[in-house]
Amino acid sequence: MSIEVRNVTKKFGDFVALEDVTVSLPTGQLTALLGPSGGGKSTLLRIIAGLDTADEGTINIEGTEATHLPARKRNVGFVFQHYAVFKHMTVAKNVAFGLEIRKRPKDEIAHRVDELLRLVHLQQFAHRLPSQLSGGQRQRMALARALAVEPKVLLLDEPFGALDAKVRKELREWLRRLHDEVHVTTVFVTHDQEEALEVSDEIVVINEGRVEQIGSPDDLYDRPANDFVMGFLGEVTTVNGHKVRPHDVDISTTPILAGAAQGTISRILRVGFQVRVNVLTDAGEEVAVELTKSHANALELDEGITVWVSPTPGSVARMEKVG
Amino acid sequence: MASAGVQAPRDGIPWVKWLMRLLVIGYLFFLVAWPTSLVAKNTFANGFQGISDALDDPDVVHALQLSGQVAVAAVLINLLFGVGVSLLLVRFDFPGKRILNALIDVPLAVSPVVVGLALVLVYNGRYGWFGPWLEDNGLQVVFAKPGMIMATAFVALPLVIREVVPVLEEMGDDQEQAARSLGANAWQTFRRVTLPGIKWAIVYGVVLSLARSLGEFGAVKVVAGNVGGETTTAPVLVQQKYQNFQQETAYSVAFMLAFAAVLCLIVVALLRPKEAKK
Repeated sequence: MSIEVRNVTKKFGDFVALEDVTVSLPTGQLTALLGPSGGGKSTLLRIIAGLDTADEGTINIEGTEATHLPARKRNVGFVFQHYAVFKHMTVAKNVAFGLEIRKRPKDEIAHRVDELLRLVHLQQFAHRLPSQLSGGQRQRMALARALAVEPKVLLLDEPFGALDAKVRKELREWLRRLHDEVHVTTVFVTHDQEEALEVSDEIVVINEGRVEQIGSPDDLYDRPANDFVMGFLGEVTTVNGHKVRPHDVDISTTPILAGAAQGTISRILRVGFQVRVNVLTDAGEEVAVELTKSHANALELDEGITVWVSPTPGSVARMEKVG
Repeated sequence: MASAGVQAPRDGIPWVKWLMRLLVIGYLFFLVAWPTSLVAKNTFANGFQGISDALDDPDVVHALQLSGQVAVAAVLINLLFGVGVSLLLVRFDFPGKRILNALIDVPLAVSPVVVGLALVLVYNGRYGWFGPWLEDNGLQVVFAKPGMIMATAFVALPLVIREVVPVLEEMGDDQEQAARSLGANAWQTFRRVTLPGIKWAIVYGVVLSLARSLGEFGAVKVVAGNVGGETTTAPVLVQQKYQNFQQETAYSVAFMLAFAAVLCLIVVALLRPKEAKK
């Protein structure tokens, strides 16, 4: 195990940011800390990096007891949400910073900087100032800067949070490919479940200062430990007392499905290739159903007609808590 | 202003606009421009004769040198202290921070004469708190250069701090955290990351302090006493010469002081756009 977090508690005044958190993050993998804003995931990351200190508990990085080590001695690469670029230095100087601090020979630094700028596709911008780069380019530069010192672990705090949707999607695919090339143990914080599901090997779901579940993206999506995890990873609707995802609901215009609930369509909404149908069942449940446009057309769905809905066989369903 | 002519038309009654401009220009003219220009006019009433006469007077040369030395020493002290206190105020939390913050503005609010008197009370050689002890150890503070430097430093104290603090606040500590995570220690972080970020604010604060220190009168006059011209700075000399009916010398020295101050402000004005572009 690469990073061992044991019984970490952190309070800001009366606010409990982390409560007795214990997590093991495996070597060489890309792990996401996923959770809603204010849930404590960034605090955990900053405590691992040594930028904040835990009130209680211990941190162990690659077998080194790091609880009381200052940030500069932890050999951890950190990437900030708002880039934290050194504004007065060129791109090359930014990347070289950690190596210059370590007093490496000049030609070695030049060589390594060139290599890293190639890795993040910024070699033609080496002599520009960060203010002349776009947000995505700045963040790639910050990543190269963090990788320059060959950190034992790479920590990214909402690395794509300040970027627009398209760049964000590009960068996270790029991060995944980069990780497959570099293989450094990487932990990144995100509140975007799609980002976590797409990029990471393992996801740690954190909410209100506690770990809700740890597992692979498939584990979490298919076997959520509780309602919170299920709800956070995607939309949830209720059919016959079963909580399922809207795309896991079968809908038909004839009562051929065993145990299906009868109801009427109250609303149809078309979003791109998807159709969202709201069904009000006779039992009084409001069921949300998602299906493709062609499927909806084939069924000739319309508002006001009677339909039957049931969870798709083989889908993940959780029994609704009664009471 | 050159840009006034090409400004886009705005709402408002034209004559009100002109009246306002006239008011501001008139105010500045009667309060600042006219009196200052009269000093220049009197200085150069006989060409450069006044200035060269003044510079032949050993008292004047001594006073100008003394003013320069005291001002530079006070500025250096305020530079080190100012940057340190700014970092303390912006980057650290400690009990009493708000009181410290308020104390820094005291020199702006209190009359310099009061500052001088206070320093005399603490450091004079006969009944001050530290004075006798310091004097026994060979350091005379009051009625000597150390006291004058202290008085000047006190008066100009807030200028560097009030320039640097907002820049530090705006900069945030992101870059410093990044430097730490990349292995830099406190000094490396300050020198390589913080200092380049606040460089222009420091230059601006130093220039302002220098202008203020060169012209300090009240506090220095009280602390300096009258030791046969030994501790007479340029502003004090201007007053003495003026009262001794050596008006021409007084005007010449006054002009040189004003010129030095204006020079400082011009340097600042030239630095500002650079800072804005960054």
